[in-house]
Amino acid sequence: MKPAPAAALLGGLAAAALLAHRTVSVAAIAALLLLICLRAPARRRRLYLVGALGSGLAVVLLTPFVETIGSHPLWTGPTVPVLGQLDITREELHNGLFQGLRLTAVALAFAAYALLLDHDRLVQAAGFARRSVLAVALATRLVPTLERDAAGLVESLRGRGVEVTGVRGRARLLAPLLAGSLERALNLAEAMEARGYGRPGATRALRPPWSALDRIALTAAGVVVVIGVLWL
Amino acid sequence: MALATVRSLTYGYPGASPALRDCSLDVEPGEVIGLFGSSGSGKSTLLRALAGLIPHFHGGRFSGRVEIAGLDTRRARPAELAGTVATLFQDPEDQVVFTRVEAEVAFGLENIGTWPAEIAPRALEALEAVGAGRLLDRPVAELSGGELQRVCLSSVLALRPRLLLLDEPTSQLDPDGAALAIELARSSGAAVVVSEQRPERVLEACDRVLFLEDGRLREGPLPDAWLPREAELPEAEPAGEVVCRLEHVAFDYPDRPVVGDAGFELGRGEIVALVGPNGSGKTTLAKLAAGLLEPRAGRVVRSGRACYLSQDPGRYLVAERADEEVALAVGGDLRRARRELERLGLGGHADRHPRDLSSGERERLALAAVLVAEPDLLVLDEPTRGIDPVRKDELVALLRAEAPRRATLVVTNDHVFAAAVADRIVSTIPERERVLA
Repeated sequence: MKPAPAAALLGGLAAAALLAHRTVSVAAIAALLLLICLRAPARRRRLYLVGALGSGLAVVLLTPFVETIGSHPLWTGPTVPVLGQLDITREELHNGLFQGLRLTAVALAFAAYALLLDHDRLVQAAGFARRSVLAVALATRLVPTLERDAAGLVESLRGRGVEVTGVRGRARLLAPLLAGSLERALNLAEAMEARGYGRPGATRALRPPWSALDRIALTAAGVVVVIGVLWL
Repeated sequence: MALATVRSLTYGYPGASPALRDCSLDVEPGEVIGLFGSSGSGKSTLLRALAGLIPHFHGGRFSGRVEIAGLDTRRARPAELAGTVATLFQDPEDQVVFTRVEAEVAFGLENIGTWPAEIAPRALEALEAVGAGRLLDRPVAELSGGELQRVCLSSVLALRPRLLLLDEPTSQLDPDGAALAIELARSSGAAVVVSEQRPERVLEACDRVLFLEDGRLREGPLPDAWLPREAELPEAEPAGEVVCRLEHVAFDYPDRPVVGDAGFELGRGEIVALVGPNGSGKTTLAKLAAGLLEPRAGRVVRSGRACYLSQDPGRYLVAERADEEVALAVGGDLRRARRELERLGLGGHADRHPRDLSSGERERLALAAVLVAEPDLLVLDEPTRGIDPVRKDELVALLRAEAPRRATLVVTNDHVFAAAVADRIVSTIPERERVLA
């Protein structure tokens, strides 16, 4: 399948997760997206899965404490300044799970996009808004680039006999990572301009025609969104 | 009529003193000009001016005139000049836009409006010309530095420009790759301005030689320190107490084997240069020796402390101050760090942010950050990348003076440097031996 219909299908699944009303439907979409992500190499997918599942779990855990809905209390705690009285109701737990699954599904859809799609072909396939698609593709590449830079920094420190451990050790890498990214972005922008980026009259390399599977996937993306609104 | 003319060009980056002073130059169609000068002398700035990136991209103070094929660069933007001019930048890693080689080479062709049916064949032709046709479908992230540099070179050659600007195009290439790159540039028919830190790699191909000193441009001859030198690689036997021994080591990356059944020894007091073609596993062997990687098979025996300095070390500095950066390797001992900075001529920079230092100062800082630990094994990966001959001589002198204290392994494609600094050579080419890659 070509990357454009695959991206549309992933976008459709993410939209369906946001539009669906039932927890079980959102859970099914999240599970499907998780299975898709598992096709990526273990080494590459780890960071994305930790991010997607971790952020979903954080929403599940925090929602009951910051929401005040429901009439079936399961636990009543102390009164905390700003937040008021802490309590957990069945409705809050259910809503926390629902919102957490939604976030996880959307994050997994992005993870699948970042891990499994060929972004070059996605940019080449863009019939319109090519600049925006290229910007998204470059932004997506930021994650592996940062990973590589971080690995380089860790290696540089290990090369001097300094082990990077714990939150504090890793936090030390944030400032040089940011500075390195800014330097890299400037250099890349300069190289792109020198190679004619933004010049009127740009063309595109020939693309292979869409197959039946690509057309089915694109149709399915729309159908999934409609199903999400009407039945899930 | 000249293809490019530069008249009385004086230029300073925003907030800085002039990087170019009253420079004038004519570039005739088809000629090859070698542009030399120490780091920070203004070579890259002059190339940027010829590409129109100065003043459009960088701003700053610009006086004088630069014309390319009749277009005044003050009015024509760099994107308009693209195709007529093509630039290969110093650091290949920072100029890659796409994730796959084919799309990367096609990018410039698409931007300049090449007929769609011609784009893929021209991209492939350019890749094959630089000996990188087999890389067509490879992800850019998996390429070695040398392979990436070939891909970037093919990206500019594919445009078939009239003026080709090459900023240290061979910094990561092995000697064969470097010779091929220069020959390709010359035979492309374009006028070529090539800036290099290794004159021996380009001098023969040059019709004219220019030298930049403190932003002032003059026509040859080159100063003595820049003249090409003979590179006779030494062939001695291992000597001294063995500090590190690799025995039948093998190492694979997830998708491909890199090193198989390799072995060599490093003795205290000797400097060993590890040479070999791009992608033959030199860096992997260096990391195995330093203990940064564990072999899949075989074993690495090491005594004492090992330190490893990566390629382009100035990129991997983490502290807010130079002395704190150096102190990292000695448990935060700032006194010792400042002494080391003093020894490497950076005494006045102890309280400066590492990223505020010049590229040469950053490299010396990175060297100080490993030498301060007084390692028993010192591993340096391509330490002469982007270093001019004068600073290279200084590095040779420093490493030679330090040599008796430790075993030193230097990974390098620079045979002149290897001949000057090393006691013996280990090669990743099977015929030359000891190591099989």
